[in-house]
Amino acid sequence: MTITQNRDNTALTIALEGRLDTLTAPELETLLSGALEGVETLTLDFEKLDYISSAGLRVLLSTQKKMNGQGSMKVTHVNEIIREIFDVTGFSDILTVE
Amino acid sequence: MQRNRTEKKRKLRNGIALNIIGAIVVLLILFGSIITTIGYFSFTESLKKEYAVTTYHMANTATALINGDHLDEYLAGEETEEYLRTERYLDAYCKKMNVSLIYVIAVDTSDYGRFVSIFNLLDNTVGDTSYTKWELGHQRDTTNDEYRQKYRAMYEQTAPYETVYRRRVGEGLRPHITTMVPVRDSEGKTAAILCVQRPMRELTDARRPYLLRIAAGAALMCIVAGVGAAMYIRTQFIRPIREVSDEATRFAKENVKGEPLGRISKLDEIANLAQSIDTMETDMASYVENLTAATAERERMGTELSLAATIQEASIPNVFPAFPNRKDFDIYASMTPAKEVGGDFYNFFLIDDDHLMIVIGDVSGKGVPGALFMMVTNILISDRAHLGGSPGEILTSVNKDICEHNQAEMFVTIWLGILELSTGKVVAANAGHDDAAICRKDGSFELFKTKHGFVLGGIDGIVYREFEFRLEPGDKLFLYTDGVPEATNANNGMFGMERTIEALNRFKERTPQEILAGVHESVDAFAGDAPQFDDLTMLCLHYKGKGTKMNARELTLDAAVKNIAAVTDFVDETLEAMNCPKKTQMQIDVAIDELFTNIASYAYAPETGKATVRIETEEDPRAAVITFIDRGRPYNPLLAEEPDITLSAEERRIGGLGIFIARKTMDDMRYEYRDGQNILRIKKLI
Repeated sequence: MTITQNRDNTALTIALEGRLDTLTAPELETLLSGALEGVETLTLDFEKLDYISSAGLRVLLSTQKKMNGQGSMKVTHVNEIIREIFDVTGFSDILTVE
Repeated sequence: MQRNRTEKKRKLRNGIALNIIGAIVVLLILFGSIITTIGYFSFTESLKKEYAVTTYHMANTATALINGDHLDEYLAGEETEEYLRTERYLDAYCKKMNVSLIYVIAVDTSDYGRFVSIFNLLDNTVGDTSYTKWELGHQRDTTNDEYRQKYRAMYEQTAPYETVYRRRVGEGLRPHITTMVPVRDSEGKTAAILCVQRPMRELTDARRPYLLRIAAGAALMCIVAGVGAAMYIRTQFIRPIREVSDEATRFAKENVKGEPLGRISKLDEIANLAQSIDTMETDMASYVENLTAATAERERMGTELSLAATIQEASIPNVFPAFPNRKDFDIYASMTPAKEVGGDFYNFFLIDDDHLMIVIGDVSGKGVPGALFMMVTNILISDRAHLGGSPGEILTSVNKDICEHNQAEMFVTIWLGILELSTGKVVAANAGHDDAAICRKDGSFELFKTKHGFVLGGIDGIVYREFEFRLEPGDKLFLYTDGVPEATNANNGMFGMERTIEALNRFKERTPQEILAGVHESVDAFAGDAPQFDDLTMLCLHYKGKGTKMNARELTLDAAVKNIAAVTDFVDETLEAMNCPKKTQMQIDVAIDELFTNIASYAYAPETGKATVRIETEEDPRAAVITFIDRGRPYNPLLAEEPDITLSAEERRIGGLGIFIARKTMDDMRYEYRDGQNILRIKKLI
C-alpha cells in the first residue's frame, strides 16, 4: 500500500493506494497516530484504494473517534466494493463519505 | 312427489274405509238373507202343519156325516135316499167350510192303483179351479206312488191322516193341500177314504207380509249397522290413521319433532301405532341430533387430519427436483401413508456443499401416533445432523434423546447415510432398518447387506456403528421401508424382496422419479383391491459425480498473518484463470484476509500450526469454493455474535466485523469440526 500525505495548515489529506487489509492497516495506524496533531479537517482519499478489510475499518473507526474531538473527517472517492462494505457494516452511518 | 304420495295415501285410506264398510254391508245382506230364508221356511213349515191339522179336523168332521157300512150299497145300487141326503150334507159342508173339493173314494186294496168315486162335492169358486164332478161309480187309475202309499196307510190305519201338498200343479190347478182320512165302518175297518182339498192361498197370503217385514227389518238393520260401523271406523280408525299418516309424512319432510299424537283412538292397535310414532319421533329427533353432532365431530377430525397430513408432507422435502442446480446427483423420494398420516419418513439435505445426508425411517406404528413419533424423530435427526458429526454419532445421540422421552415405548428403524459428493464415499449407519439396494453403473440392483444396529428408541445408551462404501458415478442407491416388500394382496401373499428387486431392475435405466413410480405401480398391481396395510416410502439417489469440482488446488502453510498475501495470490491464480470479475475477486480477497487472519490469530495461539487452503471451482452454477482447514482449537465462526451495526462511532466496538463481512459478501459459508479439524468452507458464485 502506498500512502501519500498533503498537509495544508489545519487540513490533512491522505491518499491511499492498494489494499487496506490486515497487513497494511497497522502502517496507516502508525502514520495517523503522529500526524493528526492540530488537524481540524481530515480527508481520506480512497480513489486508488482497491479494498478494505475489517482491520482497515478498525483504523477508520478509531480515527473517526479521535477526529470527533478535534474537527471533522471525511472519506472521498469510494469505490463500489468499499461502499458495499461500508453499507453492510453500518460504517456508512458513522463516516462522512463523499 | 310429496303431493303424489299424499294423494295416494288418501286414496288408499278411502279404499280401506270403503272396503271395510262394503264388507260389513255385504255380510249384513247375507246375514239378512239367511235370516229371511230361514224365517220363510220355518214360517211355511209351521203354517203348513197348522193347515194340515185344521184340514184333518175338517175331514174328520166330514166322515161323521157318512155311514161307512152302506158304501158298498151305494156303489152297487141306486142313489138311495140316504146317499142323496149324505151328498147334500157334504155339499153344504163343502160350501160352508170353504174348501175346493170333498170326495170319498174306495180304493182297490190289491195294489192301491185304482179307485172308484163314491161322493164328489166341489166348489170351483173357492180356489178358482175348474174341476168337473165325478159321478158315483166313476173309476180312475193312479200311478202316483205318493198317493198309493198314503192310500195304503189309510187302509192299514198306520196314520190318523195323510196330507199331500201340491205346490205347482198343471193347467187349471192351483197350489193346494189334500188331507185324507179313513171312512170307517162299524167294525172300525177302513171302508173308503175321504179327501178334503183346500187351496193354499191363505198360506201364501199370510206369508208375503211376514216376508216383507223380515226383509225390511233386515234392510233397516243393515243400514243402521253399516252407518254405525262407518262412523265408528271413521272416528276410531280412519281419522286416527290419517293423523298418524299425516304426522309421519310431516316428520319425514321436516325432520322436526311435532306435538305428540296422544291417545287418538280407543283401538289398542291404532293407539299403539300413534304412540309408536310419538316414540319414534322422539328417538329419531335425538338420534338425528346425536348423528349431527357426531358428523360434525368427525368432520372436524377429518379436517384436522388432513391439515396434519399437509403439515407432515411439508415437514419432509417434497418439492422435486430438490436440487435443480446440482448436476452431480439426482434424488427422488415418495411417502404414501396407509392412513391420512403415516409413521414413515425420509429426509435429505446438504449438510454442506459436499455432503448430502440421506435418511429413511419407519416408526413402529401408523396413523397419528406414528406420525407424531416420526415428526419428533425426523426433527431430532435433522437438528443433530446440522450440528455436524458422523451417522453413528447422530444415531447414538438421537437414540439417547428419544429414549429419555419415550413414554409410549415406540421405536423407529433408521437408515442414515452421509454421501461425500466430491468422492462418492458414503458413511452410513443402520438402526434395524431394511438393507439398501445398490445398482452399479451398467449393473443391476442388488441388496447391499450390512450389519444392523438395534432400533432407535429401544435401549438407551447404544452406540451405533458405521459402515462405509463408495458410489461411483452412475451408481444408484435405493432405500425403502418394509411397506414395499410387505405389501399384501387379497390372498395375503406378500410382494417380497424378490419382486422388489425385479421391479427395480425393470426400471433401472430410468431416473429416480421414474424408478419409484415403476416400483409403486408394481406394488399396486400386485396388491390389487387389497387395502394398503402399511405406509409405503421409497427414496432413490442417482450419483452422477462426473467431477463437477475441477482444478482443486491445495496449499498448506503456517497459519500466520504474514502468509495472507501468499494465500490470496494462490487463490487469485485460480480466479484469474476462471476470468473472475475484478470486483468478485476483491470480495473473495477480503474474505480470505478476514478468515485467514482469524485462524492465524486464534487457532493455535499462543503456539503456531499449519493451515490448509483448498480452492475448487464448480460449474452450473459457476462458483469458487475455498476451504480453510486447521487442526487448532475447535471454533465455529458461524456462532460468533454479530456486531450491532446501528451503533454510533463512540459506541461501536472493534471485533467480530471480519467474519461478518465475509458472511455478508460470500454466497455460502459452512463450518464443520471433523476428525480434529476445523473445516470452514466459503462459496462465491462467479
